[in-house]
Amino acid sequence: MENRDACHVLVIGSGGAGIRAAIEASTVGETIIVSKTITGKGGCTVMAEGGYNAVLTSEDSVAAHYEDTIKGGAFLNDPALVEILAREAPDRIRDLFAWGAVFDLTCEDKFAQRSFGGQQIPRTCYAGDHTGHEIVMTLLEKLRGSPVEIRDELTVVDLLKDRNVVFGAIVCNREGELGTITADAVVLATGGAGQIYDMTTNSTAGTGDGYALGYRAGAELIDMEQVQFHPTGVVYPYDTRGRLITEAMRGEGGILLNTKGERFMEKYDPSRMELSTRDVIARSIATEILEGRGTEHGGVWLDVTHLPKEQIEIRLPLMLRQFLQFGIDIRTQPMEVTPTAHHFMGGLRITLETQTTLSHLFAAGEVTGGVHGGNRLGGNALADTQVFGFRAGRAAAAVESVAKRKMDTVQIDATEEKISRLYEGQATSAKIRRLMKQIMWNNVGIYRNEFDLKVAERDIAKLRAMPLVISSPREISDAFITENMLLVASLVIDGALLRRESRGAHTRIDIKASWTNETSPFGHTFFSKTRSGIEILEGRL
Amino acid sequence: MIVRISRFDPDKDAVPHVETYDVHVASGAHVLNVLDMVRDKFDPTLGYRCCCRAGQCGSCAIRVNGKPVLACTEEARDGDLIESLELPSIQDLITDVTQVVAQIAWLNPRAASLSCGCGVTHETIEEIKPLRECIECYSCVSSCPAYAVSEYAVPTVMRQEQRLNLDPRDVDDRIGEAIARGLFACTSCHKCVEVCPKKIDIPRKAVEKLRIEAAKRGLSLPAHMELARLVEETGRSIERKSTSFLEYVPDVIEPEGEVRATIGFFVGCMFNGRVNQSALDAIEVFRKNGIRVLIPKDQVCCGSPLIRTGLSNFVPELMQRNIAAFVNAGVDTVFTMCAGCGSTLKKDYDTPFRVADITEYLCEVGFVPPTKIAGTYTYHDPCHLLRGQGISKQPRELLRSFVEKFVDMPAHCCGAGGGVKSGFPDEAASIGAVRAEMVAATGADFIVTICPFCEYHLRRVTGLPVKNIATLMLEGYLK
Ligand SMILES: Cc1cc2nc3c(=O)[nH]c(=O)nc-3n(C[C@H](O)[C@H](O)[C@H](O)COP(=O)(O)OP(=O)(O)OC[C@H]3O[C@@H](n4cnc5c(N)ncnc54)[C@H](O)[C@@H]3O)c2cc1C
Ligand code: SF4
Ligand code: SF4
Ligand code: FES
Repeated sequence: MENRDACHVLVIGSGGAGIRAAIEASTVGETIIVSKTITGKGGCTVMAEGGYNAVLTSEDSVAAHYEDTIKGGAFLNDPALVEILAREAPDRIRDLFAWGAVFDLTCEDKFAQRSFGGQQIPRTCYAGDHTGHEIVMTLLEKLRGSPVEIRDELTVVDLLKDRNVVFGAIVCNREGELGTITADAVVLATGGAGQIYDMTTNSTAGTGDGYALGYRAGAELIDMEQVQFHPTGVVYPYDTRGRLITEAMRGEGGILLNTKGERFMEKYDPSRMELSTRDVIARSIATEILEGRGTEHGGVWLDVTHLPKEQIEIRLPLMLRQFLQFGIDIRTQPMEVTPTAHHFMGGLRITLETQTTLSHLFAAGEVTGGVHGGNRLGGNALADTQVFGFRAGRAAAAVESVAKRKMDTVQIDATEEKISRLYEGQATSAKIRRLMKQIMWNNVGIYRNEFDLKVAERDIAKLRAMPLVISSPREISDAFITENMLLVASLVIDGALLRRESRGAHTRIDIKASWTNETSPFGHTFFSKTRSGIEILEGRL
Repeated sequence: MIVRISRFDPDKDAVPHVETYDVHVASGAHVLNVLDMVRDKFDPTLGYRCCCRAGQCGSCAIRVNGKPVLACTEEARDGDLIESLELPSIQDLITDVTQVVAQIAWLNPRAASLSCGCGVTHETIEEIKPLRECIECYSCVSSCPAYAVSEYAVPTVMRQEQRLNLDPRDVDDRIGEAIARGLFACTSCHKCVEVCPKKIDIPRKAVEKLRIEAAKRGLSLPAHMELARLVEETGRSIERKSTSFLEYVPDVIEPEGEVRATIGFFVGCMFNGRVNQSALDAIEVFRKNGIRVLIPKDQVCCGSPLIRTGLSNFVPELMQRNIAAFVNAGVDTVFTMCAGCGSTLKKDYDTPFRVADITEYLCEVGFVPPTKIAGTYTYHDPCHLLRGQGISKQPRELLRSFVEKFVDMPAHCCGAGGGVKSGFPDEAASIGAVRAEMVAATGADFIVTICPFCEYHLRRVTGLPVKNIATLMLEGYLK
């Protein structure tokens, strides 16, 4: 193997969390950031539309942000992580602003803030409806001006490990050539895994590699069954299905109607209506559709036609343009929407300093679990990337430099051998992924039951047993990623079977529990190579 | 549907080759879905980039039938030819963008701004916003004629320079930087705006604004300053060498026969001072079509050469004089036969009368078809007519009605605009050479156009006869 590199901190992933971590780490020591895509364009951060939650006014308070987040998260969040999120989100948005972010300001030159679901007070800062793009562009400018070494289009296929210490990663480039990057500390910031579902808002890079990398290296993950379905995804045309329609549509006053013209949220959450939490709205829409009040393409109507045209043009320009492309003018016509796989609340277990259960491995952003509990509030994920990205960069950089570590050739040999076997496999990545997405969509969606989950467990296991095939080195990364996706899918199913209650985004229709979210005896589900299960909160039994 | 994809494997191929695939996709499928299908069904090694699949990350820009587009938002059509952007090729549709990325400037934050409000206001934000939507797809890079032949740093780099220039949080000097990166090499052809998925108006919102800043600091090109001096002194961008058109034509020219309509004539400096004959021909064409032409004598330069080069101090006065001239003449429609004047009057002025290009007007009111004319003709779209005024059909409609053979030619800047011809003659010649090749490929004997600058420049670079459309029409009428 030719390509060997070394640095102090290796950051994997260049979404909001990864870039923020790299910027911070580079103030201390040599930092490399790798992404399987072009830097910054990769993950879901650049796609985020609605906004960033931060307490910035005297009417609002950290306690209120904390309370909303915990309540929205079905009391499954790690309270200490939530506390940090609420407390540090304002500082991190100020960092972004100082670095040139073009957030919308009010006429008094203060951050403009709007309401997102589950908030007591309008708390979501935004840049039109391309907030994530704005954040990434700001971070990219900062990154380009920093000493961080930027590596585009390198896929991490495994973490390098020496006993319990992570010290780098094996990478694979577009041409299928392997390499290693060793580091004193590694930050995982690889984002979520919506792509394991047939309908998803996620980017192509949202394949959950980080969950798989961490798991294989021996780290512990939590709450993998908690997959948020965003209530409003595009239904039609077919090839655009799943794409996100921003929550800002409802924040600005959009209403949901079934085919009978009923504003059905009156039935499910009369006080919060369309600004209820995502889990509640997604289930409500799913119920309307299941009970036959859905549209021809299998959706319900989201309507903003009653809003002033200028409001739509100024506040939702991206959405307006996107729908015009499909021949729908949202100023005069309603949109057809259905729930779509959006966000993974579960992920690597971390401490307040973003330390995973493995030494020298840190994690931030959607790849982690615990911050959002059972359901993430709109606007909290972008804040999460900045708050914990910053912390991860700082903590990783604080790891003491070690003298040259000896390379464990066993791990590399194993990878090379695995690759050589791929040429003799049978099933293509494309085929396996197609089947997996269907299985997950049909059996591990919004409404779950033991029978369907068992079917999914069996079918995913079958797919995992099928040897993947490639015909050229350029397909190596893709094959590894397919494996990652299958591993993540099976973790989601494990979690869904383990959690015998309805909690947050996870709804078990075959189980009736006598407790509320707040009094549930269950804590996190957890998964590692050595143990898996669900935490029982003794005091509550 | 059948699609053709340009394939290139650096290990095997010296040059790209086109392969044809027959794919089945759902209706409304985008080009990206087609690429996915080709990869999944025919060739897992097909190289292309994509990420967000929603027009937000800019990874997937490619060319479809020659035009840069985002694969994830462009609807796929039967017969599409799919190629990479015109950037160094890596594999198939993947191009090397590192050189371009390296030129994009980053904000250098003021140390103090970490604590203070940085002086950024609601207004600053609103001003920066239109320049901020760039998704770094590099479609504009792929199509910029200036970048292709000169040291010009690419359109989106200029966008970023102006975005930073507007931002009080940034401490660096962006004007000097922009000049070093080729600020004056942009021809203002607006091709970048046409292909930009976010429709960012780089020439107007960035290049011209930066040139204004440069002018304030006395950093304009000497040739441009000379021109500005001339306009301020004479009201004209062209030196008076002989009697000008306005000096010898009457104020009102009555048509042959019945008067169908009356129109004002905005002459423009070139037709007034250099190529009088074309202007006379145009008047004659209107006479044959029953249209009375009014020519106010106190009209002056439209100001385009000043606006494009950023030396716009004197422009308000020019505007006021021109508007007054035509208002006093009492016309409700004014025609231009210079693409640059037309686009300036339409876009930079706020006129109480309507402005129309000569072909736009003739097609609208109807024209007597001239007698057929022998020879093979092609038409060169002046950038300021095509993209500045959105006019491309009318000239073709006119030509097709009376030339023996018309061969269409895709649009491409000739290199004469934006003050480039006076500022950087070599660059203008290089862009012209690209255009000359395209002209040669049509096999035409004559080029027709509606911009005196294009006309002049094309004659030089192609060696072919270049005719103003009015002159040609008149030839037909006189047959
Ligand atoms: C459409 C959409 C809209 C959203 N809107 C909002 C919103 O308005 N507000 C909000 O708070 N949240 C929103 N979210 C959620 C939020 O955007 C994400 O949770 C968050 O941006 C995740 O950031 P991240 O840095 O963890 O990961 P990502 O931004 O997903 O980045 C992951 C990075 O990891 C890289 N990577 C992955 N695997 C590998 C590998 N094997 N090797 C190398 N690199 C790898 C990728 O290339 C990418 O650079 C939205 C999400 C989506 C999909
Ligand atoms: S206007 Fe033309 S020359 Fe100028 S930046 Fe745009 S494409 Fe390039
Ligand atoms: S300016 Fe427009 S075309 Fe150019 S890179 Fe940006 S988004 Fe793409
Ligand atoms: S894939 Fe992101 S813009 Fe097309």
